[in-house]
Amino acid sequence: MDDNKPVESGSATAPTPSKQKVWDAPTRLVHWTLVVCIGLSWWTVENKRMDIHYWSGLTALGLIVFRVYWGFVGPETARFAQFLKGPRTVFTYLGKLFRPDYRASFGHNPLGALSVIALLLAVAIQVGLGLFASDTSYVSSGPLSNLVDYETSEDITELHEDFFNVLLFVIGLHIAAIAFYLVVKRTNLVGPMITGSRKADHVEGPPAGIAPISWVRLLIGMLLAAGVVWLVAR
Amino acid sequence: MKAMLFAAAAATTLALAACGGGEPEKPAEPAPAADAAPATPEPVAVAAAPTGPAAMPEPTDIAAYMKARHENYEMLGKNMKVLQDNFQAETPDMAAATAAAVNVKAFADAMGAWFPAGTGPDSGIESEAKANIWTDRATFDAALTKLQTESGKLAAATDAAAFKAQFPATGGSCKNCHDTFREEKKDQ
Repeated sequence: MDDNKPVESGSATAPTPSKQKVWDAPTRLVHWTLVVCIGLSWWTVENKRMDIHYWSGLTALGLIVFRVYWGFVGPETARFAQFLKGPRTVFTYLGKLFRPDYRASFGHNPLGALSVIALLLAVAIQVGLGLFASDTSYVSSGPLSNLVDYETSEDITELHEDFFNVLLFVIGLHIAAIAFYLVVKRTNLVGPMITGSRKADHVEGPPAGIAPISWVRLLIGMLLAAGVVWLVAR
Repeated sequence: MKAMLFAAAAATTLALAACGGGEPEKPAEPAPAADAAPATPEPVAVAAAPTGPAAMPEPTDIAAYMKARHENYEMLGKNMKVLQDNFQAETPDMAAATAAAVNVKAFADAMGAWFPAGTGPDSGIESEAKANIWTDRATFDAALTKLQTESGKLAAATDAAAFKAQFPATGGSCKNCHDTFREEKKDQ
């Protein structure tokens, strides 16, 4: 795990790498799969394919379970403890944003961290509501809808429909922030979420970036996510 | 196991659902009737069994007629919920399931007469019934026949395996008609 520890700056033997690895592959995969799941969940409702919606939602559940787990055991930038900061740090960050000595954060910036939490929470709530919702035709009702009565399930179904707007709002903020960094700060945040790496100049964190992932922890996380989905769906 | 998961999910759900009553896991405290403001729904097991279709009024008062039709579909939904719950249960309560299936078959047999002229969108009253029920009656009737057939088979199921095998086809025949003849309404 320590192979990628940064070499002391100023060491002549190891030139600063031109690329800094910021996002591990599982985090990127979870992110983009979640994008697909949210899009697919919307499309399947609009096109009366609740059978696909059911599995799209359960896939999102598995992704959320994995991401929360990964937030404790994943590489530095995936960890909640690394990116969740108090209000003081958030304000300090905002103050520095337009100063010449501004450097892009290693991983989530203190403000973006709040957006990550909001997104995770919004998706978790949306999926959680869906588990108890009823399908009008009772073909693809939520896998836990049998734990609540008819009226409760109907109410939850309505909340599930309404809460999608909240989710869209949070996603809108997320995209607006990405556009802000692209246009105003000339920082492309989308590229690194695809490739995992970014140019290493004017950035914080170790020059080489995050440590390699632990395959054992990855496997445990996948089993955990699949296990939760299986328990809910069976 | 599901109960544990439910507890976790309920915590999340309740965070925003101030109205969410009816957690099955609430300790059975004899709550004072006075402070039970939005009457807590009964746990699933003791909820009153849903009934078959109520007789429809004469379509002289169109609004009242459409309201009665809507309520009948709500009751049909309650029967479907009973079937759904038993479909999801490891050991279905076959007495409750069969009673609900018999009800669904009764709805299927009755509802063909619930769409007299003037009780569709042309009434100006908010409705989930689409105009093509009246313009494409042959397809609508075919969908209805399918529901009668499938719910009849469900009502005839004598064991859990047969019931579980037949329930998706019954729901499928609901969906078959909804996809073509029912308008999705927000906040209905």
